[in-house]
Amino acid sequence: MKHFILFLSFIFLVLFLAVLKKNEQGLGKNSVTTLRIFGYGSFTGTWGPGPLLKEEFEKTCQCKVEFLESSDSGVILQRLRMEGESLRIDLVLGLDQFDLAKAQNEHKWRQLSLGNLDVYSAVKPALGSTSFVPYDWGPLTFIARKGDLNESMPKNLDDLLSPQWSRKIALQDPRTSSPGMQFLYWVLKSKGEAEGFQYIAKMMSQAHSFSPSWSTAYGLFRNGQAKMVYSYMTSPLYHEIEEKDPSVVGLQFEEPLPVQFEFVGIPEYCRNCELAEKFINLMLSSQGQKMIMEKNYMLPVMKGVMEGTKFEKLAVGTYRSDFSVPSLNEIESLLRKWTEIRRGEFN
Amino acid sequence: MLVAFFESVKYVGHLLPISFLRIYLGYYYLEVALLKYQGDYLLRPRLAEQIAEWLPASNAPQWFKIFASTYMIPNWSSLAFVVLGLEFAVAVSYIIGFVVRPMAMVAVALCVVMLLISGPGSEDLFKTFLAIHFVLAWVGAGRCLGIDYYYYKRRRGLWW
Repeated sequence: MKHFILFLSFIFLVLFLAVLKKNEQGLGKNSVTTLRIFGYGSFTGTWGPGPLLKEEFEKTCQCKVEFLESSDSGVILQRLRMEGESLRIDLVLGLDQFDLAKAQNEHKWRQLSLGNLDVYSAVKPALGSTSFVPYDWGPLTFIARKGDLNESMPKNLDDLLSPQWSRKIALQDPRTSSPGMQFLYWVLKSKGEAEGFQYIAKMMSQAHSFSPSWSTAYGLFRNGQAKMVYSYMTSPLYHEIEEKDPSVVGLQFEEPLPVQFEFVGIPEYCRNCELAEKFINLMLSSQGQKMIMEKNYMLPVMKGVMEGTKFEKLAVGTYRSDFSVPSLNEIESLLRKWTEIRRGEFN
Repeated sequence: MLVAFFESVKYVGHLLPISFLRIYLGYYYLEVALLKYQGDYLLRPRLAEQIAEWLPASNAPQWFKIFASTYMIPNWSSLAFVVLGLEFAVAVSYIIGFVVRPMAMVAVALCVVMLLISGPGSEDLFKTFLAIHFVLAWVGAGRCLGIDYYYYKRRRGLWW
């Protein structure tokens, strides 16, 4: 016992001294202010707009921008709730309208003073919050390849229940993914709650799977495992521009499409709050909005950015113009019902 | 002590294959711990990120989930230091064959915690390690090609 305790004490003492020395050496290097931004992977990753914004911001801020990545925007709040202040975050991006109530309920956020923003009319309803500002938006729909559609292009939600699509639609789990929640809410808003849940129950057998994140679901579509995926109306543009593949299309539905707005906010416990606000200003500048549009493949919120680009010609169809921030209770109740239906599917 | 180290091969030679397994595992732990020490494991909340991301989907009992989210995540830096220290301790102990039995039991506990907070990708690895540490503790793997033989010869008992 004595030897064991002495041995452990020795190891920890050596490690403690080594860490102390390492910290002393690194002290000089770490004196630069660091702006820590928390966002989802497709924004902060090398292929997203994050690195471009970081590069642009670091030119003038005399600081370092550091991204903290989460797999999906739905996971962001989960981690914020669990890790809170210990994350040392200055800015949070990637929250959608379903996250706002939860975010405001669980954390304190700084008031933003961004002045009057010249946004597209579709974005105006989303400007209601004083703590969060939208930086991009996009209608959501089902994405498919022209070859898989043959002549039976789904025109409304009921068409998706055709046996042709059985186990071929990649959907997202609304409990962890914001597009998943958008789909659930879209169905319920379009059909009413009672009929909507009946529809969801029928959709269970049409779904290839309910992925925990948008990227996993989209991956299933990309590698051909699923013939259709719930994604953004702007997704076909990605295939057209990046892969020169015009065969991917976004479906138009009789039911007006739901719209997702992505918001950015500064938590109250930020350490570099002014820098965080400056970063938001960059995100909302023409240059920043262009970067977000071209790399995140979402529509810009500020006027005059997509004019003259392929995004301007994108047929987004009819989409819901009502913007609402569902209450926490409402979301929880909907998710509880969804989970019951899902559980019934397994039994 | 040095004589006892090599003498052990003669008297407990049947443990030689398992000693090689012990030394290899020690080397593996040393590599992992060094990588963490040289990287940003102690500076950034990697461990807290891992816990927060996987805990909701983990099969861990409810009391552990509450404990992890209440104490482990907010104190991630102390936890990272303890985990790193224990990994170094397991590495050194296995390589030189000193206090292998109690250290293997500590490694078993460490593996259980890692199993509960890690994603499905590393689940099989920790389960395998768990079995190996348990066997090393059971047979007293430090007695062959290890300092433990020196103490085992003189004191006997469960610790060696």
